[in-house]
Amino acid sequence: MLQPVVPTPAPEPTVAPAVALVSERQSPAAASPVKRRWLEFKQPVSTRSKVLLGIAAWLLFLLGWHLAATSGGEANPLFPSPVSVSDALWNLFAERGFHSDVLASLQRILISFGLAVVVAVPLGILMGAFPAIEAFFSPLVSAFRYLPAPAFIPLLLMWLGTGDTQKIALLMLGVIWFLVTLICDTVKQTPVDFIETSRTLGGSRRSILWTVVVPSSLPGIVDTCRQMLAVSWTYLVIAEIVAATDGIGAMMMRARRFVHVDDIMAGILIIGALGLLCDLAFRGVYWLMFPYLRRR
Amino acid sequence: MSAALPALHSGLAVERLGKIFPRRDASVIAVENVSFQVEPRQVCILLGPSGCGKSTVLRMIAGLEHPSSGHINLNGNPVTGPARERGMVFQGYTSFPWLTVRENVAYGLRINGDVNAMREGTVDYYLDRVGLSRFADAWPHQLSGGMRQRVALARALATSPQLLLMDEPFGALDAETRWQMQELLLSVIRKERMTVVMVTHDVEEALLLGDQIVFLSSHPGRVRTILHPPFKADDAICTREALRSHPDYAGMERDILAMMHEEGSRH
Repeated sequence: MLQPVVPTPAPEPTVAPAVALVSERQSPAAASPVKRRWLEFKQPVSTRSKVLLGIAAWLLFLLGWHLAATSGGEANPLFPSPVSVSDALWNLFAERGFHSDVLASLQRILISFGLAVVVAVPLGILMGAFPAIEAFFSPLVSAFRYLPAPAFIPLLLMWLGTGDTQKIALLMLGVIWFLVTLICDTVKQTPVDFIETSRTLGGSRRSILWTVVVPSSLPGIVDTCRQMLAVSWTYLVIAEIVAATDGIGAMMMRARRFVHVDDIMAGILIIGALGLLCDLAFRGVYWLMFPYLRRR
Repeated sequence: MSAALPALHSGLAVERLGKIFPRRDASVIAVENVSFQVEPRQVCILLGPSGCGKSTVLRMIAGLEHPSSGHINLNGNPVTGPARERGMVFQGYTSFPWLTVRENVAYGLRINGDVNAMREGTVDYYLDRVGLSRFADAWPHQLSGGMRQRVALARALATSPQLLLMDEPFGALDAETRWQMQELLLSVIRKERMTVVMVTHDVEEALLLGDQIVFLSSHPGRVRTILHPPFKADDAICTREALRSHPDYAGMERDILAMMHEEGSRH
């Protein structure tokens, strides 16, 4: 019974290359039965396709906008086409000194967000690290989180006047409570094993805070800041609607008075572009700060 | 109280240790009247079925839990909280992901004020002891589970603790890696002449590494028996194969497994 089986493996080495060649040639045919579909759960998309798909979405959006704006025959001043918006944008920068408005807005965002971070990061870390500190601040912070920042505009106008201080204060109020709560939650995620490891190695409370709790939650804190900076941009127009002479929002309110819809849309585009740049900058900082999280 | 203890000035003494976890309806007695001693340079294994409170005993020795009754003395000093003289290796992976392997091993020295930890040979020595010299600059997430536990072991050893505590350190590893790690640990313990208390539920691990096995019964955890396997003292036994071919091994393993089975089915 065994005899016919034994000789068969012997000639195999000579046959093997031929088999390999055949299988190589057949491989595309062999692969085809596996259906490759566009929409598949968790199926990664190549970088090239990702870029192409992203550009396609924008082109379709602009095309749709253009067709909708020009379909009526004559140009509608309340609904300008993308071409006239880009003309308006060029005009704003080239002839009407729009860059000083952009800089004023950018400065307000950066100062207010910087101040919010300076207060929220230490407070959030202490609240997340020590339940007693959380128990003290949490009821206060949670309550303030539900008060809409724009509701404070009349108070801020009376207390701080109509200058930059009032706008910076409003932008700060808009994000600081969320920053504190989100950072506190991030810090609470620090694995208890990390803290106990440090304690058994002789770590004091101070050194555990600085060498375990802070580095362990820092990536989450930077990510929270990135997301809350986007919220800060959404408050910008509200801050600059009232009693402002410069800034992107003030320009848009002036344009509304003269029904310059193309200028308003140009303002929206600039806010979007600046927000995107801030987001990219934060991603770059994240990449530089946390080399151990790259390419996981 | 400590005057009433027998005059034991070196090694670990655990005296009538008890731990009660208060609950709203009924308090849970996790550990009751546990006493044992560990001589310097001896390895003590806490063995028992799950739920016997062996990890709780270890955490009390580490100072991470406060005993409800009894006391713990190390080299004549009472244990009141965690300290670097009692280094611990946990079951989960505790390598800090934001530090390289070398920085992880240096961590204990650094937080104790030794800013030159990297330049001195200590860190490199322990990296070499656990066979990670080639991976000194890698990030923990690039390492396998066994390698991460070797980082944790080197980190705990680098601060030269008087007592090394290990809470099922190889429990999360696959069987093959676990044997390698047990053999590595055995050679490190022998070379460094460490005093060790280790929790496990792996009978083979207990027999390979222990000079003394404290067998705990479950619900509540009490000392059922204390065994003294001869294998770790015998320097000829340094692999799993050598352990298994020892004439006394099979009998001891059978007895312990029988006790484990009895405790496991006892409620």
